[in-house]
Amino acid sequence: MKKILGILLLVSLFSSLPALAVRIEISAPGEQTIPLALTRFLPMGGSATDSATKVDEVLIADLDLSGLFELADRAAFLSDAEELGLHSTKVDFGQWRLLGVDAVVKGGYHIDGEKLVVEARLYDVVSQRLLTGRRYVGKVGDERRIAHSFADQIMLALTGKMGPFNTRLAYISTRSGHKELYLMEVDGQNPLRLTDHRSIVLDPDFSPVRKEIIYTSYKKSNPDLYRKEIYTGSEARFSQRPGLNTGGRYRSDGGELVVTLSKGNNSDIYLLGTDGTIHKRLTTHWGIDVSPSWSPDGDKIAFVSDRRGNPQIFVVDINSLKVERLTFEGKYNATPDWSPTGEWIAFTRRTEGQFDIFLIRPDGSGEHRLTFAPGTKEHPRFSPDGRFLVYSLDLKREKSIHVMRIDGTGDRRLSAPGGNDTHPAWSGYWQ
Amino acid sequence: MQLKAVFKMTVLLALATLLTVGCAKKPKTDESSQVAQTEMQQQQVAEVSEQPVTETGSSSSSAQDSMNKVVSSLMRVGFEYDQYVLTAEAREALKNNAIYLKAKGVRVQIEGHCDERGSDEYNLALGENRALTVKSYLVSLGVPADRLSIISYGEEIPLVMANTEEAWAQNRRAEFKELN
Repeated sequence: MKKILGILLLVSLFSSLPALAVRIEISAPGEQTIPLALTRFLPMGGSATDSATKVDEVLIADLDLSGLFELADRAAFLSDAEELGLHSTKVDFGQWRLLGVDAVVKGGYHIDGEKLVVEARLYDVVSQRLLTGRRYVGKVGDERRIAHSFADQIMLALTGKMGPFNTRLAYISTRSGHKELYLMEVDGQNPLRLTDHRSIVLDPDFSPVRKEIIYTSYKKSNPDLYRKEIYTGSEARFSQRPGLNTGGRYRSDGGELVVTLSKGNNSDIYLLGTDGTIHKRLTTHWGIDVSPSWSPDGDKIAFVSDRRGNPQIFVVDINSLKVERLTFEGKYNATPDWSPTGEWIAFTRRTEGQFDIFLIRPDGSGEHRLTFAPGTKEHPRFSPDGRFLVYSLDLKREKSIHVMRIDGTGDRRLSAPGGNDTHPAWSGYWQ
Repeated sequence: MQLKAVFKMTVLLALATLLTVGCAKKPKTDESSQVAQTEMQQQQVAEVSEQPVTETGSSSSSAQDSMNKVVSSLMRVGFEYDQYVLTAEAREALKNNAIYLKAKGVRVQIEGHCDERGSDEYNLALGENRALTVKSYLVSLGVPADRLSIISYGEEIPLVMANTEEAWAQNRRAEFKELN
């Protein structure tokens, strides 16, 4: 991290003005794209394997999803694409300038038994300097993770903000015959089932500080809150009050949780310690109060309440407990998710016989609809960089996990066909 | 079926049979016409919210099924969309259930269910409110509260797996499970 910042600093200090133009002030997709050449990674000694293809596929998919780049046509590449070029002095920048690209990605790999080494470089074509360089040492089979990680570095180098590709998605799937908790990569690869409750598991959320997921399960015949360490598999039930123990969401520092508890009587929003003890009751109303979501500063909670007759989004200040209504349009607004940038709150609204995803600013302005295609969209959740939304799409016969940019473009399906996959949650940065 | 049931001759059974068949005994006739009226009203409401005509046939036949079972089991109770108040029809069913519960002295769990539309977590709360409303009404009819527990399954366990108004109507319900 420090290294990269150092590189960035060097770039900004010593590069000429046109070079600065590469480190563009793009933070939102669609505004302007960076012309980028992505070369295939080459073997560094030894024979060629399919490692290059795996790295290539992931980099192309990630950079495409980002919406920030315009990838140059490989058919137009000249001889430098066949050179390793792991140092800026070994790159023929003139060839790349001819193609009109601002930046070029080069890389190599070496396999020694099970060991895999990948070298990856991002160069600024105009200033002819290294923007970011990484050396990855792992095992054969780690290609995808390495590529996701370098895609994040490319985004950091060119936009100043890390990409979210080397993270994970948790979701609920019925593929085993029951609703169980699953984990997959952000492009839908390598799905892994984490629970075997053979009951009903719902609504996961990642700890921002540990490799841990919380969720609700009916394993012990009541909707209780559980936590599970992802790698050890160790699981504990930590809120089992009568009635609903649902909607658990970690504060961004992991120090506290917001949850829905009904205590067998009426659903309200509470703050819990990570040990499950109640720290504070945030709402006291006879109506339904559910689906809490933290503001990034941790001082406010967006939630759903029917206190005005039908489900609408409200915001409660956790210090003053003052409640303000956020949504006024529509008769059914639900599942708010506060962007980690603080800029938006995503939610679902019942439109013409289906639910669609909307964004609204926390002050109630700027409300707009993101999805228009057929099918009900549910459970929108932001990526840790706030650039993307993951959600579940219900097309009657099948439910699947989708991802899109927060301007509604770039929509694509992530989960494999043939399942009912819902309730996605995006992890924080994974390392 | 009806004949067989009549032979059993419990008070409960008589009541149930009368409700279904609509026999011409005085106080009960009123009740059955009451039931019929609420069904009519519901049809009207239903048409406004674009329920297909098949809704009418199937809901009345499923109501009949429930009526037949009343001697041996508890009746399922239906709800309107995004509502947890009891309809007149639901109240009638619960009156039967209260008689059964008081006679048998069993402990039951009341399950609140929703149709699939709407958010999962909101539906969990809605289902809980449905179960609670049912419990309160049964308690008001004299069923001891300590024999009634509640749980909400939200939209998780639909009765009918379909995306039709008819299926949704059947899925918005409270059910009873006897506990040992």
